[in-house]
Amino acid sequence: IVNDSKGMALPGVSILEKGTNNGAVTDFDGNFTISVQKNATLIFSYLGFEPQEIKVIGRSNINVVLTEKLEGLDEIVVIGYGSQKRGDVNSSISSVKAEDLKDLKQISLDQMLQGKAAGVSVTSNSGAPGGAASIRIRGTTSLTGTNEPLYIIDGVPISGDATGKSTSGQPLVGKDGFSSTGGNGNNAVSPLSMINPNDIETIDILKDASATAIYGSRGANGVIIITTKSGKKSEGKIAYEGYTSIVSNYKDLNVMNLQQFAKNKTDLANLFGLETRDEFSHPELLGLGTDWQNEVYRTAIAKNHQLSFSGSKNGTNYYLSAGFLDQEGTIINSGLKRYTVRLNADSKVKKWLKVGANLTGGITNEKVTVNQSFTGLISNTLLQAPDIPVRNADGSFAGPPSSDQSVTYYNPVAEALTRDNKLIRKNFLGNVYAELSIIEGLKYRIEVSANTEFSKNEDFRPSYKWGSQENVTADLDTRNQNWYSTNIKNLLTYNKTIDKHSFTILLGQEANDSHWEGVVTSSSGFKTNENHTINLADVDNNTVTGYKGSASISSYFARLIYSFDNKYSLTASIRSDTSSKFDPTTDNQTGIFKAISGSWKLSNEPFMEGTKKYIDNIKFRIGYGETGNQQIENNRYTALLNTQNSGLGSGFLVSNSPNPNLTWESLNQTNGGIDFTLFDSRLSASFDIYDKTSEGFLFQVPLPDYLTGGGSQYGGISAPYSNLGTMQNKGYEFTLGYNLSTDSFSWNSSLNISHYSNKLVEIQDGLVLTQQVNTNGYQPVVVTNTIVGKPIGMFYGYVAEGIFNDLNELNNAPLQFGQPVGTGAGETYLGDVKYKDVSGDGVIDASDKTLIGSPHPDFTFGFTNNFKYKNFDLSLFLQGSYGNDVMNLTRRAGTKNSSLYENQLVEAANYWTPTNTNTDIPRPIADSANNNLLISSRYLEDGSYLRIQNLTLGYSIPQDVLEKFKMSRLRIYGSAQNLYTFTKYSGYDPEIGSFNQSPLLSGIDNGRYPSPRTFSIGVNVEF
Amino acid sequence: CSDDFTNRPPEDAISLDAYYNTNDQVVSATNGMYSRTWFQLCNKFFWTLEVGSGNMYSGSPDVAGLRTFSLNGSDPELANGWASMWANVAQANALINFLESRVGPDVDQDVIDHAIGEAYFMRATAYFYLVRMWGPVPIIENNLDYSNDPYINTNPVSDIYTFIVNDYKAAIDKLESKIRGSNYGENGRVSKGSAKAMLAKVYLYQKDYPNARAMAEEVINSHEFKLLGGSELPSMSFGDLFLYKNNNNQESIFAIQWKGDGNYGSANNSNTQFGISSNTVSTSNATYGGVFGPSQDIFSLYDVADLRRHETIMIPGDTYPNINTSNGVGFTVPDEDNAQGSGGGIKKYCLGRVSDATGPVDAWGMMDNNTYIMRYAELLLIHAEAVLAGGPSTSDPAALSSFNAVRNRAGLPSMTSITFDDIFKERRLELCFEGDYWFDLGRLDKTDAIDIMSAQNRGNKNTEEYYTPVYSASDHAANDFYIDYPDNDVAKNPKLLEDPVPYTFN
Repeated sequence: IVNDSKGMALPGVSILEKGTNNGAVTDFDGNFTISVQKNATLIFSYLGFEPQEIKVIGRSNINVVLTEKLEGLDEIVVIGYGSQKRGDVNSSISSVKAEDLKDLKQISLDQMLQGKAAGVSVTSNSGAPGGAASIRIRGTTSLTGTNEPLYIIDGVPISGDATGKSTSGQPLVGKDGFSSTGGNGNNAVSPLSMINPNDIETIDILKDASATAIYGSRGANGVIIITTKSGKKSEGKIAYEGYTSIVSNYKDLNVMNLQQFAKNKTDLANLFGLETRDEFSHPELLGLGTDWQNEVYRTAIAKNHQLSFSGSKNGTNYYLSAGFLDQEGTIINSGLKRYTVRLNADSKVKKWLKVGANLTGGITNEKVTVNQSFTGLISNTLLQAPDIPVRNADGSFAGPPSSDQSVTYYNPVAEALTRDNKLIRKNFLGNVYAELSIIEGLKYRIEVSANTEFSKNEDFRPSYKWGSQENVTADLDTRNQNWYSTNIKNLLTYNKTIDKHSFTILLGQEANDSHWEGVVTSSSGFKTNENHTINLADVDNNTVTGYKGSASISSYFARLIYSFDNKYSLTASIRSDTSSKFDPTTDNQTGIFKAISGSWKLSNEPFMEGTKKYIDNIKFRIGYGETGNQQIENNRYTALLNTQNSGLGSGFLVSNSPNPNLTWESLNQTNGGIDFTLFDSRLSASFDIYDKTSEGFLFQVPLPDYLTGGGSQYGGISAPYSNLGTMQNKGYEFTLGYNLSTDSFSWNSSLNISHYSNKLVEIQDGLVLTQQVNTNGYQPVVVTNTIVGKPIGMFYGYVAEGIFNDLNELNNAPLQFGQPVGTGAGETYLGDVKYKDVSGDGVIDASDKTLIGSPHPDFTFGFTNNFKYKNFDLSLFLQGSYGNDVMNLTRRAGTKNSSLYENQLVEAANYWTPTNTNTDIPRPIADSANNNLLISSRYLEDGSYLRIQNLTLGYSIPQDVLEKFKMSRLRIYGSAQNLYTFTKYSGYDPEIGSFNQSPLLSGIDNGRYPSPRTFSIGVNVEF
Repeated sequence: CSDDFTNRPPEDAISLDAYYNTNDQVVSATNGMYSRTWFQLCNKFFWTLEVGSGNMYSGSPDVAGLRTFSLNGSDPELANGWASMWANVAQANALINFLESRVGPDVDQDVIDHAIGEAYFMRATAYFYLVRMWGPVPIIENNLDYSNDPYINTNPVSDIYTFIVNDYKAAIDKLESKIRGSNYGENGRVSKGSAKAMLAKVYLYQKDYPNARAMAEEVINSHEFKLLGGSELPSMSFGDLFLYKNNNNQESIFAIQWKGDGNYGSANNSNTQFGISSNTVSTSNATYGGVFGPSQDIFSLYDVADLRRHETIMIPGDTYPNINTSNGVGFTVPDEDNAQGSGGGIKKYCLGRVSDATGPVDAWGMMDNNTYIMRYAELLLIHAEAVLAGGPSTSDPAALSSFNAVRNRAGLPSMTSITFDDIFKERRLELCFEGDYWFDLGRLDKTDAIDIMSAQNRGNKNTEEYYTPVYSASDHAANDFYIDYPDNDVAKNPKLLEDPVPYTFN
């Protein structure tokens, strides 16, 4: 019987009598029979396991335990249009195996990469099921373009840009785009949430340009190559995994209850000289009021089932899977359902011909929650007054009783339960290929792939009357979009080894074509809330608009890999891309991207022979490469006319200033690295250092409004795009791995640490790159700035130096915003925030705004540990970030003390008074536009955290028990995701991410959907 | 093959070079400049000026900065108002500079001329607002000249007025003549008469009385425009001016032509912003109303006999039998704080809840009723003031005829001799809440304006509040009669704060 180290039977192991052709294969239960000489030696070999030789010595019954191959130098790494052994790779490439991801109960694979690879920073932008993540490979590359990597899923290219900048630029959800000042909030949905993570076999992340240059134009942000599973064993395998999770927020913010609220509002009314409310005169007699967080957040349930069939027979491999996920969100009435199917098959039709296909389809059905917005549910939940009940006595939803109390918040329970905001996406993706072996070493491959998605968003807001807040007629907004892209590849690969020289030559051609279109409607005047299709709306209130476009890239490329004596290796590649984004009448369309890299395996030199016992491998790598970026809107090289309506009829206005000189944004990267493994490959380490410089950003010049009229949205002429500026990212990353394995115990561990420093090197004089977000009260405020010599997207505002406590000090302090000392409106007094005179001009004004904090971490890290003891397995995954700041606008909104009707955090009551001077909360002022609320260092918090991202304990039923049930594997496990976070951050969650993936709006908490904690139990079964 | 493959002309927009081949296409070239380009001004900032002038009261922080004269360059609505005027300049420049060279051979010259005339009209009007709000601003005749070098100086106020006068003259030259009839659908576009009327006002601001009078009289004598409810149209009234069905009536000289199209920023927001706080009369789909209310000063302004009062402000007990409300047709103003604790509400431009009479409403509660930039009543008052020509008083029949036409329409008796103060007050009564009084105050001698403004009760019905504006002839930043340049643009071009540089006219 042949077993693995866990005691599981290994079917399909090939057994060969040494020196003969006499062989056999193990059956389903690992049994084998072979007739050999008594003194024969048997060789057992099996993919993924160390081969083993066993002397028969006359035995008739042999039990063999094969040990799994340590992942290492022989591992195959996908390098883009080909693959290479890990030991031969000259560039910086990280690989993540299915094994490392299997315990992570995340919806989409982008989130699963968090902390798993050095140099890859992943932050979830929202805790909503299906929300997009931001992935930055080695810092930020582009200033206003997308910074998301290119994904290649079984050869099909997919942009990680959830905002579709280079295609339609239209959101899948919501009315007013991805604007940070609009009411849609964080509405980018992950382009990868359609892919079932369970189908993934390996993920290879190409990080440096010497590796990505073969992807030319689209390689600037790194490339993530995803390979899905294929059939392996000769016997068919049926695998099932199912789990159920309990999902909940692990933290509530401490907002006032009704008693605290009543006291606070009475105190404030007295302070402001306004009427107090009679019903609040005895707070102690009141109840606790409505706990809105308790009403809105819930403990949600997630269910996942995944069934797959795989196998291999007569040269045909197949893998068929179906998956179902039903995940409720922690906010009532939010959630996501996903249905996926996949079929991967390949077959050797002839000795010289292999054909195959990878096909997948997915449907998601999502209930969307508006978050990171002043109109979002999270803001509503925190600021809604506790004196308002959820429902009236008659069961209808309640609201503020009189219109004076009608602040801009709505009953969040009513909003969540009655607003019907759905997104349905249907995605089909696949490729077919044929591979011909023409002569020994020469292969031709043709691959055709396509990807399409149909999406439909319906946002229905019923008519309602919640107290004094009323929506008279229901409104419906819909977005129907579809896009498709096709990709064709012709690849010619030639392998040749002559003595110690070995070559691999690749010649290739690729063409990519994508098309998109959409219809957007807006209707109102529904007579009923029951059915709400467009035809039921008031015909006079139906509006329809649409959009359509296409883009293409045509490419040619070549690569040479040469190695000598397994010591020296050289890779050189060149690619030419021609993009439709640039003026077809010029030669700006074509970009040439070159790369070269080399490595030296010191350990293979004869003089290192003596050290082999300890150091089995040392390799030095160095590489340089050029990549590009062309992901901008279409036709920016020419001036376009856009429809603008008026009472005179529809007409056209110029929408943009043209720039026919537009061309590729370029990125050059130099990478140096060292890999070594010690002690029989037990300890492995890898260190990389890089310097990448992006130049000529495709950048919409932020011209002053007197030249653009504010841009085309309101009838102005948008500024031209231009190639401007230089940005540099320098960094290093370090991966350390350790493997220990004995008969009954194994431990493998991997630690990665990444650091980058980002700097804007130059940009046209006078360009202002400040970014605004909207805050409560419809007031957009500037929160970040990007200036030359500093990292991008830095927090920007005033420096707060405590609170004025002393009249002398106040009188001698620089005059603040032209406001004299005094207690009246528009005057500065004791209890106000003391701002620093940064410019030193003796007054506090806009010139004192400065960079006050950084969203960029000093380093991020991930630490994965897998233990196995007999039939138990345990994995522990820690992940975190150190040294970054968070701009906590949720706390700003919760400590404003300027309204008599919105709720506040409990700490807001600790405001400054002449008798309560030891506080950081200034005196209340009855105007939400007062200077104490300016964006300042007061709202910055340390965003460092260490998170126990996953803890999983599994138990596999012993083999002898399973055999009775004809099973090959049965494992049960319990898993905790996001188990505990060590942080000083006072908000829900220190992991904030970026607003709609914008690199200039990172780390801003404006009511972000918190990432929940998940406990799961599940089962793996294989037959 | 590859060349075609990577040539992707736009599929959902029109390339500038491929359009303008027919008369219809050229006619439509200016349509957007009658609405969208004005939205960011008219949405909120226009009314911010009414708060500043003391006509309106608001406590809403996005629009109330001028109530206490604390508005500064960081105000987002200020930046919106600024951008809106420059959107008009940019679009007008595109047509003035490039239209003629891009039209096809089948387009008639008079069609081209009229479109370019409209562009001159819009550019002049935009600069007229800019110079009155900000004083010195850059004169830009071709935006493309500055794409690579946006750091330009401002030009002096006098040069800007010269530029405006030139533009209106060019507009008068190119625009078509018109007589405004009862087919309102044909009255939407500006005409020679519109440009002359605007030019009369520009001359008046420059105290060039002879030219102002000449221009006004050309307009009057052309009989292009008529007062609704005046002697020529006795069946109509002042109140009819603000009904949706009367968009582009005979009195309309230039009005913004809103058309809700599902996008934010295409229709008139007044119906929600005005009215009263409870959503009884605000348009459907907005859960609020009365962002602006009348100032306390306004409640005592009107004579009992003045018919305009009931159509301008709502006072508790007032009835509006035709207005649709949440309780059905017919509205009696309740005795409450109403809008912003003012005690009443703004009636002008408030149409009430959506009904056949109001026209359609969009998702933001905005409607398609026009916003007046100038109407004939104002031209008559300009005429009277031009005849007075800076004198102490006049009983010139020309002045009295124009002046009394406006008064009589309002149900008030004729006067036999009028002073500047009479005309000034009449302008306020007539044009209240139409965005003009701030500019009227701005053209007064500053000590007089400061006296008027510091005497206004700028609080609400519960608290009296008084504020005094500051005027500095030399320091733009310390002058409450000029608005700060938006911070963002100053950061992009600090030269905006430098002394203006004379413009080189070519």
